[in-house]
Amino acid sequence: MFLNALLFSAATVAASPKFPLVVNHELMSIEFAPRKPEQMGSFYEARGFPREMREVLKQQCFITVKIHNNSQKKIWLDLANWQFSVNGKPLKREHRDVWKQHWQAMNVPLRFQSTFRWTLIPETLDYLPGEEEGGNLVLPFTKEKITLDAKFATGENRDGKPIHIHFEQLYCAEDAL
Amino acid sequence: MKLRSLLIAVQVLFVLLASLSAPVAAAEEKLPFGIRNYDIGLAPNFELEDIDGELFDLKSTRGQWVFLHFWASWCGPCREEMPTIQALSESIDEDKLHFVLVNTAEDEDTIFMFLGSVAANLTSMMDQDGLVTEIWKPRGLPTTFLIDPDGRVRYQAIGGREWNHETYIQFISSLISN
Repeated sequence: MFLNALLFSAATVAASPKFPLVVNHELMSIEFAPRKPEQMGSFYEARGFPREMREVLKQQCFITVKIHNNSQKKIWLDLANWQFSVNGKPLKREHRDVWKQHWQAMNVPLRFQSTFRWTLIPETLDYLPGEEEGGNLVLPFTKEKITLDAKFATGENRDGKPIHIHFEQLYCAEDAL
Repeated sequence: MKLRSLLIAVQVLFVLLASLSAPVAAAEEKLPFGIRNYDIGLAPNFELEDIDGELFDLKSTRGQWVFLHFWASWCGPCREEMPTIQALSESIDEDKLHFVLVNTAEDEDTIFMFLGSVAANLTSMMDQDGLVTEIWKPRGLPTTFLIDPDGRVRYQAIGGREWNHETYIQFISSLISN
């Protein structure tokens, strides 16, 4: 009984630093929660997404991102200023407009295109003091660790000191074997 | 002499401008958490059916403030927020504030089940192909827009808010009473 309790608490302690991944900065924090393909597949299947669309999505790497502005000034998200790389080589994130073109080419019904779009993190967003918002990042799947270099403008007119985030521990979740 | 007149005129202009901008600044300071000024001009119009098949035209709300809310059942914050919208609607004069909920890209069964479980007194428009949502471009779900009686978009709130909190009720009450 005691051993079970000990094992449980040890597992909890071991797992907690890994999920979600958290990057803390004095002005903001970012949470990254890598999602398994099975998890995302179930989510979209429950929304009635067609099989062809789900098959495409199952090949991607989904990471739910939550950004919290802990400061007293505006922080500006612009995904164009987020660079992903694997082993020093760029990992290209597709813009939501590229996904839209992709779905259009596949004749995916508009309602599914719409739902997919709203599960994504906005391309741009101004975070008010104390505000917390997020959404999904979709990246090409990789088994390697992903490095993120992100830059955020700050201040009402984006003229404050920019925030630089460098994080090397991002990863894609895989289904259990 | 001309220079002096010019200086006086500039001073008068400065005082006038300062007196005009002061109330705006004060109003901005009073915005509750999560509500931002969002003056994008006239609200893009739309016509949608609600879950009872009644056609709704946004233009028909001119003369009232409008609480325009985009949501979906799969969005966690929407579930938490919806009961607070119902509570807000019950505490505000409905002749002065029109609640317009727009569900994004779900069918009427899903909407009916969802509202029935979390906010049974509310109804929603159905944007089944997502096109109205696309025109309005909320940057996330849920998102709420506040539209003034002239049909101008004035404020935006992204993400879930506790709308029945005193701060928001006071803010909206002050809007509609003006």
